[in-house]
Amino acid sequence: MAQPENPYRTFVRRLPLSLAAAMLLWLLLLRPVLDRAVPASSELLIRAFEYPRVTRLVTAGHRVEIRRADFRSGSAIPTIPITEVHFNTILLLALYLATPRPFSRTQMERLFMGWCVLFSIQTLNLTFHVKLMYAMGLGEWSLQTYSDLARDVYSYLQYFTDLPARFAAPFLIWLGFNWDVVMRIVGAQRADDAPSGRRTRRTRRT
Amino acid sequence: MDLKRLWTRPESRFLILFIAILTVSFTVIALQTVNDAVVDPYTSFVARMSGGVLRLLGEDASVQGCMVRSPRFAVTIYNGCNGLITSLIFISGVLAFPARWRAKAVGAIGGLVAIQLINLVRIVSLFYIGIYLPRFFSESHIFVWQSLVILAGVSLWVVWARHASTAIEDNR
Repeated sequence: MAQPENPYRTFVRRLPLSLAAAMLLWLLLLRPVLDRAVPASSELLIRAFEYPRVTRLVTAGHRVEIRRADFRSGSAIPTIPITEVHFNTILLLALYLATPRPFSRTQMERLFMGWCVLFSIQTLNLTFHVKLMYAMGLGEWSLQTYSDLARDVYSYLQYFTDLPARFAAPFLIWLGFNWDVVMRIVGAQRADDAPSGRRTRRTRRT
Repeated sequence: MDLKRLWTRPESRFLILFIAILTVSFTVIALQTVNDAVVDPYTSFVARMSGGVLRLLGEDASVQGCMVRSPRFAVTIYNGCNGLITSLIFISGVLAFPARWRAKAVGAIGGLVAIQLINLVRIVSLFYIGIYLPRFFSESHIFVWQSLVILAGVSLWVVWARHASTAIEDNR
């Protein structure tokens, strides 16, 4: 009879390979898409709260150019590196691929939900980069347009989405959506206690 | 939403505690006084360690503040590169996980040391990538090594949580 797989061993054995696969996937397929999708989503968010709507985020190489319609022609165009904003997709993919039964329907659904959350965090991260650039990086105009409080708030939000959120989000999302699986990996929940990766029909208690 | 019920669910309690500890710790290290008194000296210490390892490997390295330089290459270690982020994420995970305080203390200290060692390897390897493969320095720095260090932190947490939860089971 075949031995039931040990989820901890499976995870530890798969993680290096998963990381390599996630890096390749991100480099070859996802990076060009995310280089455009994150700025597009961030531009939508910025313009939703902007009057008049002047911000355009244009991807050039692996940087985002901040083009405002009210910039003087010939003025320098500020840019933000975009790779750093969405490279954490590699981490989320690697963690999902390393978990047991990564291509089951449940895991794919969880990956989709997790990716949506991560994409939202990446969008917020880029948005706060741009807002901080407006609040602090445009000289006299920034001083006239934004208050000290606004500068402090945008600094903090940019810092928070830049460091703790960017690096901790993949781990938190993976853990949050896969608590039962992760607890089986760390041995805090026995396999026979936990719901399996397979979908089970819910029965109503009477 | 019933907050009390939310708190009794282990996954939501872990997430709430994790985010709270992470937010507080990152807010504290962002304060100018803490940055000047702790983060900057710590980053200089990491730079001195890296310089020491590079000298052991035969590199004519010198350290000035947070900068490690040799006649062939130079790197400046910033706040995001000193291993503190991964360490704080790891410690938040350890403190938020339901385990005994002794296991948490051992995990936090052991994890900190391990993450610093991994980060040291990262800085030294990036230094040599800068010398021999300068074209790949930026990419290696941004996504290869950052991913490796964070995943190493997650792996350490998984290994620690496995031991911590086994200890709880054994004591039941």
